[in-house]
Amino acid sequence: MIRRLLRSSAILLALVLIAASSSVVVSGQLLAYQDGFVFFTTGDGFRVAQDVVIRDAKTGAGTTIKPVPRIWARATFDANGTVTELDLSRTPLPPQGSFADVQRFAVAISTPAPNPDLLAYAPTPAPGATPLPTQQFSGRPVLVTFIVQVPPITPFTSGVYITTDQSGWNAQAIPMDRIDALHYQITRRYPSGTVFHYLYDRGSFQAKEVAQNGLDRAPRNFIVPDADVRVIRDTVYAWNDQVNGGVNQVQPQIMPTPYNPAPFPNLPPSLPPPQPPPGKPPF
Amino acid sequence: MLLLASIAARAQTPAPHASPTATPSPPPTLLYLNAKRVDFYYDRFLLEADGDVQLRSSDGYTVTGDAFSMDLKLNRFLIAGHVTLHDASGTVSGAAISDFLDFQRIYFVPVTTEPDRWTFLNGDLAHPAKGRVMPGDVFEFPSLPQQPSITGTGAIVGTKTYVRFMNSHTYLGSVPIPLGSEAVNFSANQYFAQNTLSGATVDLTWNVAGNNNSLSAVHFRYDPTYHLYLAFEQHLIGQHEYAIFSVNPATGDRKWWNLNLYEKLGSRFQISTFTQYYTQQDFLQEPRAAQQTTFLSATYAFPHSYVQATSQLTNYNVLGPGSLEHNSIGGSLSHPSQLQVTATSFQNKIGTLPLFEQIYEGYGFNHDSVGANQYLNGFPGYWPQGGVAFAPIPTPGLQAYGAKCTVQPSKFFTYYCPVYTTIWNTVLGFNLFTPALKLNNPPSPYETYYFNASFTKQYQWNSLPHWISTSSENFSISRQFSRSVNTFVGYQILNVGDHYINSGYLPCTPVNSFYCPLSFTSFRGVSTMRTTSFGLNLVPTPEFNFSLLVRHHVDFPIPVPGVFGLPPNNILGQPLYSWFLGQPPYDMTANVRFKIFPHALVDVSKTLYWYGNPYRTQFWQPATVVQVLPI
Repeated sequence: MIRRLLRSSAILLALVLIAASSSVVVSGQLLAYQDGFVFFTTGDGFRVAQDVVIRDAKTGAGTTIKPVPRIWARATFDANGTVTELDLSRTPLPPQGSFADVQRFAVAISTPAPNPDLLAYAPTPAPGATPLPTQQFSGRPVLVTFIVQVPPITPFTSGVYITTDQSGWNAQAIPMDRIDALHYQITRRYPSGTVFHYLYDRGSFQAKEVAQNGLDRAPRNFIVPDADVRVIRDTVYAWNDQVNGGVNQVQPQIMPTPYNPAPFPNLPPSLPPPQPPPGKPPF
Repeated sequence: MLLLASIAARAQTPAPHASPTATPSPPPTLLYLNAKRVDFYYDRFLLEADGDVQLRSSDGYTVTGDAFSMDLKLNRFLIAGHVTLHDASGTVSGAAISDFLDFQRIYFVPVTTEPDRWTFLNGDLAHPAKGRVMPGDVFEFPSLPQQPSITGTGAIVGTKTYVRFMNSHTYLGSVPIPLGSEAVNFSANQYFAQNTLSGATVDLTWNVAGNNNSLSAVHFRYDPTYHLYLAFEQHLIGQHEYAIFSVNPATGDRKWWNLNLYEKLGSRFQISTFTQYYTQQDFLQEPRAAQQTTFLSATYAFPHSYVQATSQLTNYNVLGPGSLEHNSIGGSLSHPSQLQVTATSFQNKIGTLPLFEQIYEGYGFNHDSVGANQYLNGFPGYWPQGGVAFAPIPTPGLQAYGAKCTVQPSKFFTYYCPVYTTIWNTVLGFNLFTPALKLNNPPSPYETYYFNASFTKQYQWNSLPHWISTSSENFSISRQFSRSVNTFVGYQILNVGDHYINSGYLPCTPVNSFYCPLSFTSFRGVSTMRTTSFGLNLVPTPEFNFSLLVRHHVDFPIPVPGVFGLPPNNILGQPLYSWFLGQPPYDMTANVRFKIFPHALVDVSKTLYWYGNPYRTQFWQPATVVQVLPI
């Protein structure tokens, strides 16, 4: 009795395995559906059966969704590698199967050839030779701390900002915090691999940093590396709107200030202005 | 698959897959895109299109297909579904095509009798490399946010610089706002951000046109002075030069016309000008009043120093004498001018000491034959005998120290004297500072104390008996207690001396009272301000930031509530001056920043001022400063 049961179970298991091995299911995003082939975003094209069944992936019923680019699909392959069923969805489907398992079913006229652009095919450098530079980015979030030393003539209450091409060069995109008499600091989180150009400023492009030689400086360039944290230390040598020895500050949209003999802003009305030397004629 | 020397790393969402080797940067490509629907996702710089996609490339081919996807930062695009590729050598059909523009590689899945894989190298569409293994992500679509920022039916892409949309609209919430033409600039060229507009409380920008070298923008603005108005700005940009023009406000009868020019000639010299022209006029009719100011700056760099010349030229009445009849504008003949030439050294380390120095010396003059700002001091225009005889000009300012003449020849006007039409000056100054010095050497960096100090001194001698000296000393001790907390204690002394060799500041004269406030009777133009500061920054995550600054001022003259006015604020509500006479002895500023959207922070700050004994007065900064900042 037990032996008969074991035999029946073995036959049933074998049937299940045969049934399972005869069809492979993978899910992915469609690239195209045309000319009797279905293409996934791997770039692989698979032959489609003439009587392919197209269903809604969620309900299993018929669907009005067309197999067009961007649509998510679950493809069922028969033993010959032909797609016999496509279940479609406008939203991502749970990962199922692996395209590596159906790679052998992909149709291509040409024989695969190595691509020297790709690292897997890069030649091994000769002994003593410098290997080609490689740079990999996983996209992991990285804490990046910027610490900048400002010129000693920077006003104490002045705000210091970072402007970057990532924020359209908004002059107040990244406000920094003063951490002592000469330094400002800010920490931001970026995915590794982020490339940006940046400059320091004091809230406007009229007050951005200039190079040590007084000329306009090119933006700093930074690529976020694969690391847990990264600290960047920079020095600002001068601000565009703060000219050493300047008598009149150049600022747009204000009335021109003639030379002011009283350098005190906010003089109270009870305090008379400086008086002329005595004994001088009125004209 | 792995990258080989790929420097085209992705902004915000880097590609973990393979890309071929970067070659020297190819010239910019223009892409003309049309489709039933074109969407743009601002926060990720993604351009997506679906339905009857047609793409024409300045590289010499056209492509049609069902769907289009482009990462503007990675500078690559994909077209998929019923693709046809057409160029001078013919037409090929396929399932998908992807162009990695930076690498001059085009990956194509043709469908002739059966699918295949072709790679076009360096723009050669006639000789595909067949069967080449392709990078793993070459045909991947990005996952998209719920709602696009801009939707249209066509776009022109100037690679790495701009995209301009046709028949477009943006969204306010989910409500579409028609734009027509809209340009988005994402160039790494910083000059596109140069602007000539003044600050505004609110600025909504509509970039109506743009290309590799220009950007035209209409601004919808609000500020407390002009209220709601329109402004226009035109940018013309090169690699080493720019020209920016604006009129702001463009609506209303008071207009500011601005022109900013910059040119870098060679590696050592640059010149820039900023001209502002103010008019009172209806629309573009003949102005009732006009004045002009030009700032000029030229810099020449030496190996260890530089020379900078700055000049300011003003004409308070561009229309000429007798042309003004507006009540608030007199017939000013003032043409003040100023020139300053300054030589500045680099920051140099002094021997092996942890000290750096920088010195500068300058010469210049201020010239004004008749005096500036006269009508700004409340004198209306006056033209006796129909303009035949000019009224005498009462002029405080440059020429007269701002002092009244002892003999007044007119009972209607106040005269000031003596008159100096040109004042020459010599400026000498230096900066001395030490960067962060460790005060101890504990095992943990979070127990380290740092010391900073700086000293600046400047003298300015004038050709009249008057000289000014300013000096500033700054000290601070700071410590980072943990990754998220740092503090500092600072002490600053600021001295400003306004010295008149003969006479000068007179003792205080009581106004509406019987006595002068403390210390005014002894004030003769020399002030001293001592400030003790405590700063705390709390940054538990990059998405949240709290900072606190508490200061105590011990100043001479001693501030008295009500005697000094509050300093004027800028357009954001922050004090315009970093120091001023009469600042309350205590102030505390709290600032909070936190993330409200994936790409936006809100920044809120407020200051409390208070006086100690005997006044015990306190007040809050009039406005709470709230800013929304893109990140």
